Amino acid sequence: MSTDLSHFKDAFFEESQEHLTTIEEGLLQLEQRPGDIDLLNRIFRGAHSIKGNSGMFGFTAVSQFTHKMESVLDQLRSSQMVVTVDITDLLLQSLDCLKTLIDCAKTGEPADDAQIARLSAQLEACQGEASTVKQSAEAAPRPSQVQGTHHFTITWVPPRYLFQRGLDPAQFIKELGDLGSVISVTLDAGRLPSFAEFDPEQCYLGWTIEMDTAKDLKVIEAVFDFVREDSTLTIVDMPPPVAESHAAPDGTKPLGEILVETGVVSQSQLNQALSQQKRVGEILVEQKIATPEQISEALKKQTESSAPAKKAETPSIRVDTVKIDRLINLVGELVITQSMLSDLGSRFEMNQLPVLLERVAQLERNTREIQERVMGIRMVPIGNAFSRFPRLVRDLSGKAGKKIHLVLSGEETELDKTVIESIGDPLTHLVRNSADHGLEPPDERVAAGKSEQGTIRLNAFHEGGNICITVEDDGRGLNRDKILAKGIKQGLIADTDKLSDEQIWMLIFKPGFSTAEKVTDVSGRGVGMDVVKRNIEGLGGTVSIKTSSGKGTTFTLKLPLTLAIIEGMTVRVGKDTYIVPLLSILESIQPKREMIKTIIGKGELVNVRGTYLPLMRLYDVFRLEPELSDPTKAILLILETEGERVAVMVDEILGQQQVVIKSMEQNFRKIEGVAGATILGDGTVGFILDVRGLLNIARQGTAKAA
Amino acid sequence: MAKTVLVVDDSPTMRQMVAFTLTSAGYQVVEAGNGKEAVGKVNGGAKPDLVVTDLNMPEMDGITLIKEIRKMPALKFTPILMLTTEASDDKKKAGQAAGATGWIVKPFNPEQMMAVIKKVLPG
Repeated sequence: MSTDLSHFKDAFFEESQEHLTTIEEGLLQLEQRPGDIDLLNRIFRGAHSIKGNSGMFGFTAVSQFTHKMESVLDQLRSSQMVVTVDITDLLLQSLDCLKTLIDCAKTGEPADDAQIARLSAQLEACQGEASTVKQSAEAAPRPSQVQGTHHFTITWVPPRYLFQRGLDPAQFIKELGDLGSVISVTLDAGRLPSFAEFDPEQCYLGWTIEMDTAKDLKVIEAVFDFVREDSTLTIVDMPPPVAESHAAPDGTKPLGEILVETGVVSQSQLNQALSQQKRVGEILVEQKIATPEQISEALKKQTESSAPAKKAETPSIRVDTVKIDRLINLVGELVITQSMLSDLGSRFEMNQLPVLLERVAQLERNTREIQERVMGIRMVPIGNAFSRFPRLVRDLSGKAGKKIHLVLSGEETELDKTVIESIGDPLTHLVRNSADHGLEPPDERVAAGKSEQGTIRLNAFHEGGNICITVEDDGRGLNRDKILAKGIKQGLIADTDKLSDEQIWMLIFKPGFSTAEKVTDVSGRGVGMDVVKRNIEGLGGTVSIKTSSGKGTTFTLKLPLTLAIIEGMTVRVGKDTYIVPLLSILESIQPKREMIKTIIGKGELVNVRGTYLPLMRLYDVFRLEPELSDPTKAILLILETEGERVAVMVDEILGQQQVVIKSMEQNFRKIEGVAGATILGDGTVGFILDVRGLLNIARQGTAKAA
Repeated sequence: MAKTVLVVDDSPTMRQMVAFTLTSAGYQVVEAGNGKEAVGKVNGGAKPDLVVTDLNMPEMDGITLIKEIRKMPALKFTPILMLTTEASDDKKKAGQAAGATGWIVKPFNPEQMMAVIKKVLPG
């Protein structure tokens, strides 16, 4: 029988990630609660599972390394060692190494042996004398290498408890039978007690078994593995004298060996002769059957086929079975509604119209609910993305010499898996930024009358159809003058510009902007904040800043719940329908004549309560035939993205609806100003406007006009 | 009738692999994530012909589970195999003292596991 378990590898990697998180979180908590035995047990179990599972897939580097970590954890658990900062540090470093090892196992890349060796040595060293590192490699019973047959006489008196441990003596004899031929089994009932003392649950019997087998002693002994310690067991090998003369045909010795044994040639002479043996390829070339090129080609193929192919990672998701069950229920309901509808359709009369409408409404309910549930499958708690921060903050506080307390809340808030995967990096940047720039060093804090320990709060919550994530610190707050001066110096703004506070704060998201006086290991290289903004906006979200000098700064990320569906406003231009993401619409107005100005070099502008915004006629952008070309009769949508605004002119607002985004790039090609397409209620295709792209077009347009 | 095996392990991957191997070999499998769950399954009517259990588990560990099973009249003589990572004698002894029949040392391949199972489960 050969059962392939390799398709469980993905499950292993996924499960390992969970264990790694458990271990990491556990180790970090351990510093606060060094005596918590439940916590230690949990950490230990995580390591133990990784060790056991990795061995199953032949990831020996992983299992050996985890074994060393586990030994240390075991000693902590049994109080043979005390939790110290050094040990936690070492374990955390080892955990990082273990993560890399597991990644290497996944991709097939070689691991950093030097680091493994260093950490292994440290892990072993810290256990000191208390440890007795045992080699777990117990030699599996190897197949017999001795030729010929054995004649064994086995005398076995099993322990009394035999039955109570679920063992059956007949099984042992049967197993011996599988290994060779059992010649005789003799029962020894000599130890049977008197009837009054007889306990039917005890085993009083013994056996003597004679058998012939090709297997050696070790294999026979292994049969009794589970009871050997408490049994009286003697196994005597009495080989029949005739066995020597006719050895088994498949066990014949190589000619060379016999020649060496009988002294005809020496071992070195034999080796030399063997080295002169030619390889198949050489012989074939010599005989001109194949060309050297053909041979080397074939050899290349041979090595290629033996090299393990690098496996691409297929993303998978773990779903609560409850969620799936509900979904299946709903699909059941959908099927019922559908059959009710087709039943109605086959014999429809006008007076049944109310029934039809009711059924259609039911269908709509089913569809919406299924849609929500299917989206729900992709929803995972944001805690997964938060879990890396306790460790990060711990490391940061060490490096920056600050005392930082991290508070997490709203971990259970659910968010689309893709979104969660993409916000990890931006969040990391923000937390680093808060730790490095936001929070002051302890002495400065004390001087400002604050507690020595700074606090960073990460919070996630729902707000409307969005998820808000806040990164809040109680540090020094953003310095308006410093940012302004830096912005002018870097030419991002002119010193004559009048900027609101919000506009000034937004400067820190400009590429290359950094006010940190010295570049630290952590941040201040001017890389990061612009990336944060770009990433978040790439997800259809926004970043905003609230800050108060001396009190702290709060960054708020606003993200859509999911990437696949957006809330949109349908608008009409001529005969075409477009969808505008609702999030980007500030308001819609019908302007008065005097609000519209044309300025040379800047194109058309519209004055909205004192601010001039560029006016874009959507029909100009997409070269359409509009119904209305007079802005005072049409509708202007004021759209905003990244703090910039634009007024877009359309003929009519049709309504508001959820639309499923279909990618343009995948189905057609990228079009400037269009974020995607969707199928509208009447079956036609509607384009979803990309506000960022429209702003770019507006800017290019004015550039051309200038 | 197919023999039923109760597989107890807190690691879903390990549990799935053991279950998969057993099902491929024609056994029926009942799974449990820890000792407590396993006891629940048995009390709920599962009648295993063999129990394969991990030792390190939350809620109720393997040793306690073995003791609990041996207390049940119906399972008093049922073979119990422990899954251990260690070749360590301490663990095996503790398990045996609790009433375990034998052990399977991790890592194992399906053939090795089936060989041990055949040892204790009459075919």
